[in-house]
Amino acid sequence: MKIDIKGIWGALSSLKYLFQPPGTLRYPDVKKEAADGYRGFHDNDLSKCIGCGMCEDICMNLAIDMVKPKSEAYLNAKNGSGLIPRLDYGRCCWCSLCTDVCPVNSLKLTKNYVYVSEDMNRFIYTPGEEKLGKREKETVK
Amino acid sequence: MAQDIITIFHGPQHPGITGNMSVELDLLGETIKRAETHVGYLHRGFEKMIERRTVLQAFTIVCRICVPEPDPNEENFARGVEELMGLEVPEKAKWLRTMVLEMARLQAQMLWFAGQGGSLGHYISPQWAVADRDLILDLFEELTGGRVYHMYITPGGVRRDLPEGFLGRLGHFLDYLESRLPEYDNMLLRNPVFLERARGVGIIDPATAREYGVVGPNLRACGFMNDIRKDEPYEMYGEVDFIVPTETSGDVYGRAMVRRAEIEQSISILRQIIRRMPAEKEIMAVLPKNHRKWEVPKGDTLVKTESARGEYSYYMVGDGTDKLRRVQVKGPSAVHAITLLEEMLVDSQLSDVAMIMNSLGTNPPEIER
Repeated sequence: MKIDIKGIWGALSSLKYLFQPPGTLRYPDVKKEAADGYRGFHDNDLSKCIGCGMCEDICMNLAIDMVKPKSEAYLNAKNGSGLIPRLDYGRCCWCSLCTDVCPVNSLKLTKNYVYVSEDMNRFIYTPGEEKLGKREKETVK
Repeated sequence: MAQDIITIFHGPQHPGITGNMSVELDLLGETIKRAETHVGYLHRGFEKMIERRTVLQAFTIVCRICVPEPDPNEENFARGVEELMGLEVPEKAKWLRTMVLEMARLQAQMLWFAGQGGSLGHYISPQWAVADRDLILDLFEELTGGRVYHMYITPGGVRRDLPEGFLGRLGHFLDYLESRLPEYDNMLLRNPVFLERARGVGIIDPATAREYGVVGPNLRACGFMNDIRKDEPYEMYGEVDFIVPTETSGDVYGRAMVRRAEIEQSISILRQIIRRMPAEKEIMAVLPKNHRKWEVPKGDTLVKTESARGEYSYYMVGDGTDKLRRVQVKGPSAVHAITLLEEMLVDSQLSDVAMIMNSLGTNPPEIER
């Protein structure tokens, strides 16, 4: 059998990468920041939200419910229904259709995408009233 | 001493494919005597899910039919709806779509490269290729907001314009990738181990290719110069220069060389797009303002796209409501990974199964749409 010295030498040339810095990030010491337009967790500017329910209407995964806020004090005066969207991240696919149809641009997606909780119910949340996007340690009681 | 035939399951998790699918093999020693494919592990009923949603909602599902290369699905679906609704897409949106399709082709070819090396136990290939693919995903993240599922090409145009300086960063990445290709060649495609393993294995002869309806790089590796981008140009493919690479061996090595040449062609196409990208801001057709008013007129259409694995087609029927009456999705893997594979595997070796499956570009979700 003829040995292909050139081919073997060519393959061995990749050994040079052993002496170069790694291409990966040193996570968790170095974290990757998402791009500006990244589709992460939602945020809702309640001073703008008019409670129209367009976001709930277009969501194909039924991930959005319109619910009463904890306090009506911070609602927009033009919020006719008195309701604001609540997200279920067990259903959301981050397609961003809800933010596309929002007529007042109150509902937006943020760059935050890391969230850890031991309580499953914490993944149903109301943007604007609560904030996601941090690592949260909780104990199930 | 006479040997007994034993039957084993190869899969559903194995290195030959990006997805779950198993092959039942009858083995005489290491030689395969019968192969039967089993799919269904990923069935989610995409066609019916699309038919139950309005067209605007459905475009966010179609990308999930093919994980390694979702964009041809988005483009196909969007173009079908546009044909049915008579929407005129702005020129810049067409350029952006072409750019996204070629970026998707590049990252799909990198994933193929990773699988081709990995299926041989050559694990530097997946590490290099996946790392370089991540750089394309970074660009996708910047442009579309998503890394794998982009949901960018929507009926009527595209969802976002280019971020500031994006084309420059894309150009830098293309320079980097081009400089890496000789290293990829040295590491795998000229590697004597790969040549020994890939040459003369998994051969598709031209007559079988035509009979079974083989498409894409698998067909071009048999000597046929068929490419939807050339045969029935869509988006801006009629405006860019590129060649359709072919090989004649029809084996795993031939298919690898076709895909390798297609990476170079994609780089060339993307450079042309960078030079010719219009400055205008218009990226969406004029659409009904209220999403509830979207109605697809009665009629039907068949649209085709050339994905990294071959011809993708959507047959769509509108019935005058806001939903599509019928959608049929045909991906290239249905032919390659079921009927053809069962025949190809007979008399090949057990250790070659993963390599052959990967060389066909098998992607089970598009079989089970």
